[in-house]
Amino acid sequence: MTTTAPRPAEGQLESLDVFRDRARTFLAASMPRRTEGDGPVSMREAKELQAILFDGGFAGIAFPRRYGGAGLTLDHQTVFAEEAAGYRMPTPLAVSVAMMAPTLLDHGSDELKERHLPRMLRGEEIWLQLLSEPSGGSDMAGVLTRAARSGDDWVIDGAKIWTTGANHADYGMCLARTDLDVPKYSGLSMFAVPLDHAGVRIEPIVSADGGDPHFFQEFLDEVVLQDGNLIGPLNNGWAVAHTLLYHERNATAGVGHGRGYRAEADAGDATGSGIDDLIALSRAAGTSGDPVSRQLLAEAHISAVVARQVSDRVMTGIRTGAFEGEWGSLLKLGMGIDAPRRGEIGLAVAGEDGVVWDDEAGDNIDAHSVRWLVSRTIAIAGGTNEMQRNIVSERLLGMPREVAVDRAVSFRDVLARRADRR
Amino acid sequence: MDLELADDRLFFQQNTRRFLERESPLEHVRELHRTEHGFDPGWWRKAAELGWTTLLASEEDGGGSLSGAPLRDAVIVAEERGRLIAPGPFLPTNVVVSALSAGGDPALKEAHLPGLLEGDATAAWASSGLPDDLRVEARADGGEIVLDGTAPHVEAAASADLLLVVVRTGDGIAQVAVPRTHPGVTVVPGRSLDLVRRFARVRFEGVRVPRSHLIDGANAVERALQVALTLQAAESVGAMDRAFETTFAYMGDRYAFGRAIASYQALKHRVADMLLHLESAKATTDAAARAVDDANPEAGRLVRIAAAYVKDTAPTFVQECVQLLGGIGVTWEHDIHLYLRRVTVNRAVLGTPERYREQICVRLGV
Ligand SMILES: Cc1cc2nc3c(=O)[nH]c(=O)nc-3n(C[C@H](O)[C@H](O)[C@H](O)COP(=O)(O)OP(=O)(O)OC[C@H]3O[C@@H](n4cnc5c(N)ncnc54)[C@H](O)[C@@H]3O)c2cc1C
Ligand SMILES: Cc1cc2nc3c(=O)[nH]c(=O)nc-3n(C[C@H](O)[C@H](O)[C@H](O)COP(=O)(O)OP(=O)(O)OC[C@H]3O[C@@H](n4cnc5c(N)ncnc54)[C@H](O)[C@@H]3O)c2cc1C
Repeated sequence: MTTTAPRPAEGQLESLDVFRDRARTFLAASMPRRTEGDGPVSMREAKELQAILFDGGFAGIAFPRRYGGAGLTLDHQTVFAEEAAGYRMPTPLAVSVAMMAPTLLDHGSDELKERHLPRMLRGEEIWLQLLSEPSGGSDMAGVLTRAARSGDDWVIDGAKIWTTGANHADYGMCLARTDLDVPKYSGLSMFAVPLDHAGVRIEPIVSADGGDPHFFQEFLDEVVLQDGNLIGPLNNGWAVAHTLLYHERNATAGVGHGRGYRAEADAGDATGSGIDDLIALSRAAGTSGDPVSRQLLAEAHISAVVARQVSDRVMTGIRTGAFEGEWGSLLKLGMGIDAPRRGEIGLAVAGEDGVVWDDEAGDNIDAHSVRWLVSRTIAIAGGTNEMQRNIVSERLLGMPREVAVDRAVSFRDVLARRADRR
Repeated sequence: MDLELADDRLFFQQNTRRFLERESPLEHVRELHRTEHGFDPGWWRKAAELGWTTLLASEEDGGGSLSGAPLRDAVIVAEERGRLIAPGPFLPTNVVVSALSAGGDPALKEAHLPGLLEGDATAAWASSGLPDDLRVEARADGGEIVLDGTAPHVEAAASADLLLVVVRTGDGIAQVAVPRTHPGVTVVPGRSLDLVRRFARVRFEGVRVPRSHLIDGANAVERALQVALTLQAAESVGAMDRAFETTFAYMGDRYAFGRAIASYQALKHRVADMLLHLESAKATTDAAARAVDDANPEAGRLVRIAAAYVKDTAPTFVQECVQLLGGIGVTWEHDIHLYLRRVTVNRAVLGTPERYREQICVRLGV
């Protein structure tokens, strides 16, 4: 017997308090707790966890019920995330569930939404983003991948790169050029591309830490798709991409639909200090009594706590209407600044032991320094720090936009100029 | 800066802002620079009428908060004060009112609280060196307490009617209320970077007060420190907020090379970072005030986080404003140095960020 209220009927909005009780009971009964020394959640486990959430009515909390969601609000999502803090959550599905699914919800046809959203929310089908290209990622509207008409079909040719998790994914949202004779933002369309298509070849990219590949490159060679695979209207791809980036920044910063899906929740931080790993490192290296190291450890702790506080502030501001617009960018910028700094602090407290070691050294003494090598990842992926600074200054603060030489001319002319300069 | 101000608190904030703009514009602050105490007692009485001194006293003692969250209410005033570099012993008086109301002997309260609440009297909190380097000792002698030692850098001591002194008591620490004109008390005025805040060295030589003047316990001292650090951070946050507004507006009006300087990416990117620091400072100060109001068991750590963050961030932040203003930013004429002075004093007074970072490590068990 459960003491909490049952899930209310469609059309009634459940109060946050009642929802909190229901979420708490569900989590305690159904989800595994996090414990000290837990490893990160694997994709396989994530799919199982997501299915448990879905079956309990706690997946896609702010999605309509007809698409498999819970029909509630982002405030409910926040409450759920608070309650779920002590549990293992399907964080590896953040891209699919918290970025791609909301974008599909905003722009997809009914047919696409009905077919795919319930499977995405259940973790059965995984989507990723096919945006960046070898020729550039920041200037996303400058993609070279083409989608050309062939009778009633579309034929896609091109290459995408840096796609996270392509080894697990089923579908990609692919930004392609459908009109060369208009300015760059106006000639783009977004397509749903099945990754098992014969024309899609996926190759892993090994990152600088030498670890297992987690990002990939895709070659798209005569990938034939139907009109139904268009997400949003023809030549409206920029609006879709924009929405996608918006959800991405929110998910990265742990706000919006991404609340509770933030990968950092996997860090195994039992005390909530946000720096358990750095403290352990400093102890292992024998520097935790050194005044300089202690200043740095405290700095890292302060950054971790303040990052959470400012994220809460942004959530509150969005809820009360005090903040409008892309505040997720400000939080993403904060992460892109904090992560490298945290890396430097780790190097400082580890000293020589962090970079030179033997079998007598403590376990994992090298882990931090290896991670340091790729600590700029968060400052690059999902829009570089510089792009976030552009967004914050121009869109949040209304400062003048950068002068652009490629805005008022057709994309064909942009390409011609680029070729001229070579 | 609280994003959930209900109507009465919003009204209070607007009232406070209007009062300061009318009664204490920056030109006036500059004039006060040349006065002995840096504020006008008549003006202070008016501020008290607006509620500046009552928020942290209990209702039985004649005070009361607007919203049931007293420190968050007082933070509203502190931020507005920071925005206009306001004069007057707001922080010390409120710390002392709060400590007296929460832990003072009834007769002590009766003697001092009414005057402090009405603005006829002001107070100073002599806490420097807390906790490791306290230089005032107190010992019991019959029904009396005897104080000896020196407290450096006591804000608003020379103009205060009442001093609340943090003292070492053999094995512990406590606070003792001493009227400033009491025999054995010597106040030696000093100078500070701030144009209108005054600090003094206070010497205690065999100063005797009745036992009822003691507010015992390290907890009460800790609580007073939490109130003080939160109000101080809020004041610096208000100063950052206004400095940012001023600089931002200037960047839109100032032209170089045929463009507003606000259009240069090198500057826009710095402004983006500044917004992050500003919002972070607001968020952590608000979180500290909530923690104290809610008697959160982690309040001590959260207040130290806010203190260390804001103490560290604010001076660099205002120097960034100076940089963006160009040559005018390093002049006496431009008001930005008033802001720089205020936040620089706040960085060090009541403890440096370095001290609080060390204390945070201790609290984390490192
Ligand atoms: C771990 C990881 C995972 C990723 N996952 C995905 C994914 O799943 N899907 C996907 O599509 N992409 C993904 N990316 C790609 C990512 O979005 C791009 O790397 C990013 O947008 C930057 O693009 P770029 O690498 O081509 O750098 P460039 O765009 O070539 O930028 C190079 C430098 O120039 C700067 N710059 C560029 N334009 C400006 C400007 N206007 N003003 C100021 N500075 C500028 C940049 O900030 C950067 O410092 C991932 C990247 C990483 C590292
Ligand atoms: C102590 C002192 C002594 C001086 N002595 C002399 C002297 O003897 N003789 C003399 O002629 N001058 C002198 N100067 C003036 C000095 O050269 C100017 O202050 C300086 O050139 C900046 O100009 P500005 O103050 O008008 O700032 P502005 O030019 O208005 O600049 C404001 C801000 O915008 C930035 N900015 C402007 N243009 C750009 C751009 N294109 N890209 C990016 N950022 C930009 C600036 O870096 C600054 O941060 C002195 C200044 C000082 C403070």
